[in-house]
Amino acid sequence: MADKYLELVNSGFTKKLAKSLGAPRPAILRRYAPGAPLLPGPLLLLGNSSAAQDLADTLLGWGLDVRRHASGESRLGGIILLLDELADPAELSEPMLAAGAALRRLAPGGRVVCLSRPALETDAPAVAAVRQGIDGTVRSMGREMRGGATANGIVLAEGIPATAPSALAALHFLLSGRSAYVDGQFIAVDSADGTLPEDFDRPLAGKVAVVTGAARGIGAAIAQTLHRDGATVVVVDVPAAGDALARVANRVSGTALQLDVTRPDAGEKIIEHAVSRHGALDIVIHNAGITRDKLLANMDAARWDSVIAVNISSQLAMNEAFLAAQLPGLRIVSLASTSGIAGNRGQTNYAASKGGVIGMVRASAAAFAANGGGINAVAPGFIETDMTAKIPLATRAVARMLMPSLMQGGLPLDVAEAIGLLASDAAAGINGRTLRVCGQSLVGA
Amino acid sequence: MSARERVVLDAVPSLGALYAKAAGSRLRALLPGGKAAGGTLPEVEHHLEALVADPARLVAYQRLMGDTVRDTLPSVFVHGMVFPVAMSVMVREDFPLPLLGMVHLANQVDHLRPISSTATLSATARAADLRGHRAGTQLDVLVEVAEGGEPVWRGVSTYLARGVWPGSRPGAPAEARAPFTIPGRTASWKLAADTGRAYAAVLGDYNPIHLSAASARALGMKRAIAHGMYLAGRALAGSTPHDTGYKWGIEFATPVFLPSTVDVAFTDRGDHTVFSGWGARSGKPHFSGSITTMAQAPGSGRQSRRP
Amino acid sequence: MSDQTQAIRPAVIIGGNRIPFARSNGAYSKASNQDMLTAALDGLIARFGLQGQRLGAVAAGAVLKHSKDFNLVRECVLGTSLSAQTPAYDVQMACATGMEAIGSLANKIKLGQIDSGIGGGVDTTSDAPIAVSEGLRAVLMDLSRARTTGAKLKAVSRFRPRDLAPNAPGTGEPRTGLSMGDHQAITTKAWNISRAAQDELALASHKNLAAAYERNFFDDLITPFAGVSKDTNMRADSTLEKLASLKPAFGKNLGAEATMTAGNSTPLTDGASAVLLGSEDYAREHDLPMLANFVDFEAAAVDFVHGAEGLLMAPTYAVARILERNNLSLQDFDFYEIHEAFAGTVLATLAAWEDAEFCKNKLGLQAPLGAIDRSRLNVNGSSLAAGHPFAATGGRIVASLAKMLHEKGSGRGLVSVCAAGGQGVVAILEAR
Repeated sequence: MADKYLELVNSGFTKKLAKSLGAPRPAILRRYAPGAPLLPGPLLLLGNSSAAQDLADTLLGWGLDVRRHASGESRLGGIILLLDELADPAELSEPMLAAGAALRRLAPGGRVVCLSRPALETDAPAVAAVRQGIDGTVRSMGREMRGGATANGIVLAEGIPATAPSALAALHFLLSGRSAYVDGQFIAVDSADGTLPEDFDRPLAGKVAVVTGAARGIGAAIAQTLHRDGATVVVVDVPAAGDALARVANRVSGTALQLDVTRPDAGEKIIEHAVSRHGALDIVIHNAGITRDKLLANMDAARWDSVIAVNISSQLAMNEAFLAAQLPGLRIVSLASTSGIAGNRGQTNYAASKGGVIGMVRASAAAFAANGGGINAVAPGFIETDMTAKIPLATRAVARMLMPSLMQGGLPLDVAEAIGLLASDAAAGINGRTLRVCGQSLVGA
Repeated sequence: MSARERVVLDAVPSLGALYAKAAGSRLRALLPGGKAAGGTLPEVEHHLEALVADPARLVAYQRLMGDTVRDTLPSVFVHGMVFPVAMSVMVREDFPLPLLGMVHLANQVDHLRPISSTATLSATARAADLRGHRAGTQLDVLVEVAEGGEPVWRGVSTYLARGVWPGSRPGAPAEARAPFTIPGRTASWKLAADTGRAYAAVLGDYNPIHLSAASARALGMKRAIAHGMYLAGRALAGSTPHDTGYKWGIEFATPVFLPSTVDVAFTDRGDHTVFSGWGARSGKPHFSGSITTMAQAPGSGRQSRRP
Repeated sequence: MSDQTQAIRPAVIIGGNRIPFARSNGAYSKASNQDMLTAALDGLIARFGLQGQRLGAVAAGAVLKHSKDFNLVRECVLGTSLSAQTPAYDVQMACATGMEAIGSLANKIKLGQIDSGIGGGVDTTSDAPIAVSEGLRAVLMDLSRARTTGAKLKAVSRFRPRDLAPNAPGTGEPRTGLSMGDHQAITTKAWNISRAAQDELALASHKNLAAAYERNFFDDLITPFAGVSKDTNMRADSTLEKLASLKPAFGKNLGAEATMTAGNSTPLTDGASAVLLGSEDYAREHDLPMLANFVDFEAAAVDFVHGAEGLLMAPTYAVARILERNNLSLQDFDFYEIHEAFAGTVLATLAAWEDAEFCKNKLGLQAPLGAIDRSRLNVNGSSLAAGHPFAATGGRIVASLAKMLHEKGSGRGLVSVCAAGGQGVVAILEAR
């Protein structure tokens, strides 16, 4: 349905018709394909911080055509705003206006990425003001961009250079097609830990990854994406979904583990399987989740409790097992949801569980870091899956078209790509955070 | 046998013609002064040379019985091959009993050795031992089958002419039949209404009592009945040795009306196997018999079915 | 184990997979043998990550098979993600098909001919082959042979309308005309097995199977198929009262003495199973678990046609022989998996082993094999509850038993599977 609409409003007569009627014209997003160029055109690097030269060198190393001045009329593939050294709101004017002048030259699927520092309570007020202001201005940029272009930011903790591994990994991700449905978001880099992959097309080579809830939808896409990126994948789902799970396992040349993640020994079972069969456990994706929507006024215990049990309690229990096993460098990515951030009618139980995930990863970060690993969450917005297919058509159409800046629902693949970033060793400097994959949905922050 | 006259047949008599002749003689028997008055068997034997099995009929027979198609002759098939010779004796003008309506009581056969399906056989048949029975008159028809002068098959068929007495009304009192106890079944045969026709089509025995309810009723039966030799053939199929001789016998108690289900029991008694059949519904005994493997020829190497 | 078998390398059971078994003409009524066996293989491949591997062999079979499925197992293999270079062959030994397939693979592994293999089986009575009548078949065959119009017309002229009635395959014994149930009824009566004892065994089967599901025993033994995730014949809520209320279904000729009902007999079932076996080296190289050794197996057959023995009693003979060969007693086992074709089969088998006269006269033993500890019998349910898709039962039993032994960590298990035609296959597994 979404694909059909996308096709219609982007081609020939129906494109003209949609334009003249003012119907929303969601763009066909630029998505990653192995071997494709990182950007659809030259990169404009704006900002004169001390990191500029190092960063430019790295970008050149990625094969990008890096420009330092916004002159000319040629198309641009992306714009980087290096704003990490601004100390006063007045300093925003020059780079922002330069970026603004360049925006109309941005190719469809173009990227704007801003590098900045977090606004802290300990900052001087003017410093905090400009840093927090960057947050607002980048999000607003995202709102006005068209053609599937996005604007995102990377927030570097004090002392972390723009060329820190996790900063570069985040930048590479945000410039690439992998971030197609990430818009108006900030990725925080808190340490200089991490190792960049030898091959950005296979960032997970040699890793053993477990994906729960992998029989279908987002979970199956995650399994496939991690496999594509080089990981050996163990797919997990409830025994009743075993046939679909087996198909996924066979597609990704992985192994299937039929397991109800709410079982008390689920964590041990996962460790046992991964270690005995594949020699290690490097990555766990807590994707298993259910919805049992009902207005709170009509909610029953079965609906409430099952959602909490599957979506958050099981993750807490499994994480304890993973921590107890002291698996070196274990990286966990947990599935949150924009419902857990902004709320959603009829989803009090679901939002509690998904908000819970955000809290959990924040509070678990230090413990996983102690073993050289980390834990983060991804919060999908409206993603086209079997689960969302149950939403009534009209509601779905509205949710898909009107709310996000990108004017469409995302694909399971888009969520999987963000997970791939956070699961990689290069993302070691990102910990306890939640990354939204929502096409800059109107709901929430 | 020396005193008997030997009638050498020059071809296999047609069973159809024999039945027609038998029907005529039955009609005559019904007339006053007919056959029933006769009291002795003719001192004669009928002989036929150059009898060879028809391969197509052999296959049809083996299929009908559910037996394996192989190149030796089943004992009941041999019986069928030589039956016209036996019948030619029983339709002789001087044969004292009417053939039609005669009841088949029993068979005892010595199948002396495996007989090749391509063997050229001779058959000699005679009637013997005319004797009283509580229900009429019985007699034996003896047939010997030989290959190159060596006997390979000897059969005794016992028939009863019901309500016909060669001399005076019998002295033999009705014997009290032993009560029949149903044994544990080991098989169950579902016999379709066309069982008689199917057997007749293969072995040519178109006796009307086997063909249809109507033709059977014409001869005083309430429905068509299965050929006794069909039942014997079923019992023997898969139960006789293939590389040595064997003896087998069957006695018929009550007719198997078609269609019906016959429950069957085989019991392995070590050196022989006994079998019996009875009505699955009625519980009435239909037949009983046995199969005994003959001592095997030295060096033939055959393993008996049970050690 | 004899010296001879000790000298050769072990064949190891790595794991198994089956689809849930479904009552005939139910959930799988549209599924073919190929669909179901492929699904069972897919689940096994997924469980053990066998994608793209060239295995030594895949051996399986179906008891009821379309003629178009002449190469059923190879066709299934081609439909999976196994390497297309994996050879496959069909096996058929009635209800012992799965056991024979697995046992023959184990032998090849022991001999070093192959390093890995999958054995199993599949059956459907819902999508069973229907043959044209013998009459029509004869006409069609003659027609295909006819070269002239005249010959063709002659062939066609022999067609009769009644020839249109199709022939469905029966489960009756061709040589006796009796159904398997009616045969077992003879044996059940001969061994004086009571109705109550049969019903109790059936109830235990359902309870044990349900309990096994409850403790997630089947999580790594079953992959759902066609929306079914548990054996559809299972009645966890069955009671002795319910079972006692059923009317006899077999041995009805016995009248009041008939004891075999639909409740203590296995229903016709659809399903498929597969077991992965390998050498120790294969398992180690691929980081695969080793659940149990497939120690030995033995087939036996009895003459049921002439009343010498009951149709389904062959395993009693096979067990006597395999115990002797392996120098074991009947009591040397921690688990007994006796296929429940009928409750009466299991109980008659146990009774026979305890019977001095039977053991002496039939099995040629000095002393009876004796009684077994009934608490070790079919502890996770068997065919009465799970159902019995003929060729798939061996794989179900071997995979489950191997897992039980591995969970226990020591000991032996005895498998006994009876089969049509008076046959049976038994096997010994050893924990590891």
